[in-house]
Amino acid sequence: MTSASDDAPLDPAGMLELLERQQSDVHRRTAKLIPWILFAWGVTWLVGYGALWLVDGLGPAFSLPLGVAVAVFVGLMAVSVALSAVLGGLSGRGMKASKQSNFTGAVFGCTCSVAFLAIYVVGAQLSALGMPAEVANVYFPVMYTLIIGILYLVAGAIWRAVPSVVLGGLLAAVALAAGFSAYPTPYLVIAVAGGGVFLAGGLVIALWVRGRFGIPQR
Amino acid sequence: MSELDPVIHAQARLRITSALATLDLGDSIAFPRLQELLDMTAGNLSTHLRKLEDAGYVDVAKTHQGRTPVTYLALSKRGRRAFEDYMDQLRSLLGGTA
Repeated sequence: MTSASDDAPLDPAGMLELLERQQSDVHRRTAKLIPWILFAWGVTWLVGYGALWLVDGLGPAFSLPLGVAVAVFVGLMAVSVALSAVLGGLSGRGMKASKQSNFTGAVFGCTCSVAFLAIYVVGAQLSALGMPAEVANVYFPVMYTLIIGILYLVAGAIWRAVPSVVLGGLLAAVALAAGFSAYPTPYLVIAVAGGGVFLAGGLVIALWVRGRFGIPQR
Repeated sequence: MSELDPVIHAQARLRITSALATLDLGDSIAFPRLQELLDMTAGNLSTHLRKLEDAGYVDVAKTHQGRTPVTYLALSKRGRRAFEDYMDQLRSLLGGTA
């Protein structure tokens, strides 16, 4: 079943080029659904946080009812979580992780949950201690954006993924920038800059998957 | 300069080992998924995998998902070491530092 060309080696330069091209091709093929995950989160942040900003951002000329804004935000988050789970599962189909890899993934997943819960618990406690609603409306979006950025940085370090490190660094920078403004501006900053980071990241990965340029993997 | 490892020094087997080396140590991939990633026929892939398995470079684990038999493939420690040595040899042959 083998052809002569399968068994015949190329010259050393050709073999090294074949090796590098094959590894790059595997990385691209296994990442082909990643842009859709990033696009989903980009739209979710842009529209979801944008809706929260519209509650008071254009007042008094226009105000989106709080219930509608929260429903849009939560609904889009739920869709993106579900889409990420489905597309992530499809990306990893046919792959079986070792016990060590499963342990790493489980600990990282638990770390995400603990981090999100901790931000909520601390925020709730601060509110109980008298933190004004205007400050809470800075604390929650900024802290969630910051922790998501840090988690992308950590994921990039664990799985040696340069794009994840860049994305995480940019999200952390967006969070810090948003933290220097007063309510409702943080929602606008996170919607436009945070959503923009996801959309730009999706575009870059999509172009890379199509072979337009190289991205260092590790 | 020692001779390049003849088990890896063939286009098809170099492609297979290169693809398997992208997995983390201990992780494995199902035969159909590897075939899809490499764009190789099942027969061709099987033939070259057997040569790699005979050399101890690839670990083959046969299991079942429900009633469907599934074969998972991974680069063994020996295979990973041989692949890295091969890569270093190529680079030093080309004048780089191994």
